[in-house]
Amino acid sequence: MTNHQILDPAVHGDLRVHSGTGAAFGDAVMACLIIPDEFRAVQAHYPIVFRRDISSGAFSAQALFGFDNGENLFLEGDRWDARYRPLAQSIQPFLIGRAAADSDVAQVHIDLDHPRLATNGEGTRVFDDDGRPTPYLEAIAARLAQLDRGYRQVPEFCATLDRLGLLEPFTLEVPLDDGSRHSLVGYHIIAEQRLAALDGAALGDLQSSGYILPVFMAVASLSRFSELVARKNARLKIA
Amino acid sequence: MDSSIESVVIVGGGTAGWLSACLLAAQRPNVSITLVEAPNIPTIGVGEGTWPTLRGTLAKIGIGEAEFLRECDASFKQGSRFDGWVDGSASDSYLHPFTPPPSDDLRDLLCAWRSASPDTPFAAAMTPQQAVCARNLAPRQRAMPDYAGALNYGYHLDAGKFAALLARHATARLGVTHISAEVTDIIPAANGDIAALTLRDHPAVYGDLFIDCSGQTALLIDGYCEADWIDRSDVSFNDRALAVQVAVASDAPIAAQTIATAHPAGWLWDIALPTRRGIGCVYASDYISDEAAERVLHDYVNAQVPASHLKALTVRRLSFKTGHRAKFWDRNCLAIGLSAGFIEPLEASAIVLIELSLTALIDNFPARRGVMDIHAARFNDLFRYRWDRIVEFLKLHYVLSVRQEPYWVAQRAPDTIPARLAEQLELWRDQPPSVWDFPRVDEIFAAASQQYVLYGMGFGAALGAQAPCASALGALANVRERARALTAALPTNRTYFGTAAGVSTPAAFGELARK
Repeated sequence: MTNHQILDPAVHGDLRVHSGTGAAFGDAVMACLIIPDEFRAVQAHYPIVFRRDISSGAFSAQALFGFDNGENLFLEGDRWDARYRPLAQSIQPFLIGRAAADSDVAQVHIDLDHPRLATNGEGTRVFDDDGRPTPYLEAIAARLAQLDRGYRQVPEFCATLDRLGLLEPFTLEVPLDDGSRHSLVGYHIIAEQRLAALDGAALGDLQSSGYILPVFMAVASLSRFSELVARKNARLKIA
Repeated sequence: MDSSIESVVIVGGGTAGWLSACLLAAQRPNVSITLVEAPNIPTIGVGEGTWPTLRGTLAKIGIGEAEFLRECDASFKQGSRFDGWVDGSASDSYLHPFTPPPSDDLRDLLCAWRSASPDTPFAAAMTPQQAVCARNLAPRQRAMPDYAGALNYGYHLDAGKFAALLARHATARLGVTHISAEVTDIIPAANGDIAALTLRDHPAVYGDLFIDCSGQTALLIDGYCEADWIDRSDVSFNDRALAVQVAVASDAPIAAQTIATAHPAGWLWDIALPTRRGIGCVYASDYISDEAAERVLHDYVNAQVPASHLKALTVRRLSFKTGHRAKFWDRNCLAIGLSAGFIEPLEASAIVLIELSLTALIDNFPARRGVMDIHAARFNDLFRYRWDRIVEFLKLHYVLSVRQEPYWVAQRAPDTIPARLAEQLELWRDQPPSVWDFPRVDEIFAAASQQYVLYGMGFGAALGAQAPCASALGALANVRERARALTAALPTNRTYFGTAAGVSTPAAFGELARK
């Protein structure tokens, strides 16, 4: 149930948005879509995984925050315990919209049912008294533009990795301190051995299309799984 | 003679008395504190506006901000706005905000201001606070930690409720002994100190140090020590005030600063709390009759709060002596609050002086009687300096006016201007107020305050012909950006207090008291 509208100072002049952090604001999520341009920042904190859409067969990239739906192990009350928050998470409740399905012109849309929408007069204004965007909206718009560019790159990026056989299914068995086991299924990761075995021509293609860096960042991000497990164990200890 | 100081007796239960009791008890836990107050004496309410220092004071005492705001019907004060003080015209208004200008050299900032945005008021160019005040916004968001803000702020409060909160806190949480009895006599010690106070229907109370917070009565500092009074009415003319409290609608905007509006023979204060506005007319009885002053007050209230039923309002009449003691600490008796002195309510110096007195006392608490006279002499020296600075700073608000009424013309007469202020004004034609003019620790009105009044009133800053420097221009551009960001992110005061009132923790008091 979403209620998306194009953002308009005439309609949303008094709109206020909670810009803080918290489960009540929709931050209790286990993953978030990411774009290749932010892989470097993402891998410093979160594992990067790929997921195949069953109907279209296309892959997308995600940053993992937890092991179960609704579990965000970086969310600690009103604090997000990492210096980088992926773009798609940080622009909520805004999104990229288009005037028409095939239009190239991106618009700023807002999800009016999002829990970040403030109704009590607190939160940050989107437009000032004169209907001009506030610095908050300016920052959001800049991130939306970055995301829009990135989303356009994702299909080609993932298709290239898929074509080169660089995406392999991945199942993680997580033994936890309390003796229980968690398994993470349905994701793909970069196939390191295939990557190491790529010939010069294939590597040259990756290089010229600018994919080398994000591919290796995705590989590096897998070391974040041990941190994610540690966070999970820490939660178990408290509970 | 060299006995240790183990017990403090405070006389008077107003803001000064209870603030003294709380701070001493919280910070000198090994000293026993007793507060004696005569029953049924209403507090005069020395002030309903505070300086930002009160945040630190409340944190030291251990009162949470939400509790304080709720119990004292308080709101945020981000400075003072002066309407009509320069020439009385409709556009005559300037702000003295609590947030200082950027840390750049003020000469560079003045130069950048004059060249880049000469039509912007000084305060608006130097701090985002003016934009925030103009929109009646709060200086903080509710999610911020206690006593933290995006901008510097103090409070507007109900003085009676504040004293009551401090009293509950002192007795229930801090172990202060409260005696409700009238002081009937003072028992001297052999060395001339105060040994004890005799009380009506109560055993005498003995102490090592006595703090006189008895207000204008000055029961100990005048009644026993006979400390000389230094009259300052030659500089500061106002000697009376009329005060009313006007109820406001529950959705009325809450102003973010004290509004001080000049009138022909004084000025009016206007202090917005969530439930009411405290409005008062300060005047000099040599220049205006009580009846005329009351008309000034009524006209203002009529214009500002049209729906109020003026006839039904009770007007409180106050008269005050302008001046201070020659010595505030004599033998084992220290005067804090109105007993020490009073200069008109402009710039709300009353409560901050209480806080500063206690900081000085507590940081230098006499361990034994033998060193008390040394501490007293140092204290007297420091506070003599502070009262002089207050007198001068308040005078500054008048001497830059060009209003033509006899009262305002008289305010500018050279023989009423303290010599040091006259000298500084001469220097400030060539260089802005700086730390060289106000070099002490905890200056009550530091250079930034002087700058806001000076340039707010249009005082010409003599600047060389140098081009504005890039870093100062950048600092002012940064102020503009911060103003945009803050006006977008901060809630209105009405929103803040509307929602804060819903978050109540009525059980908190009993719980803490039981611990």
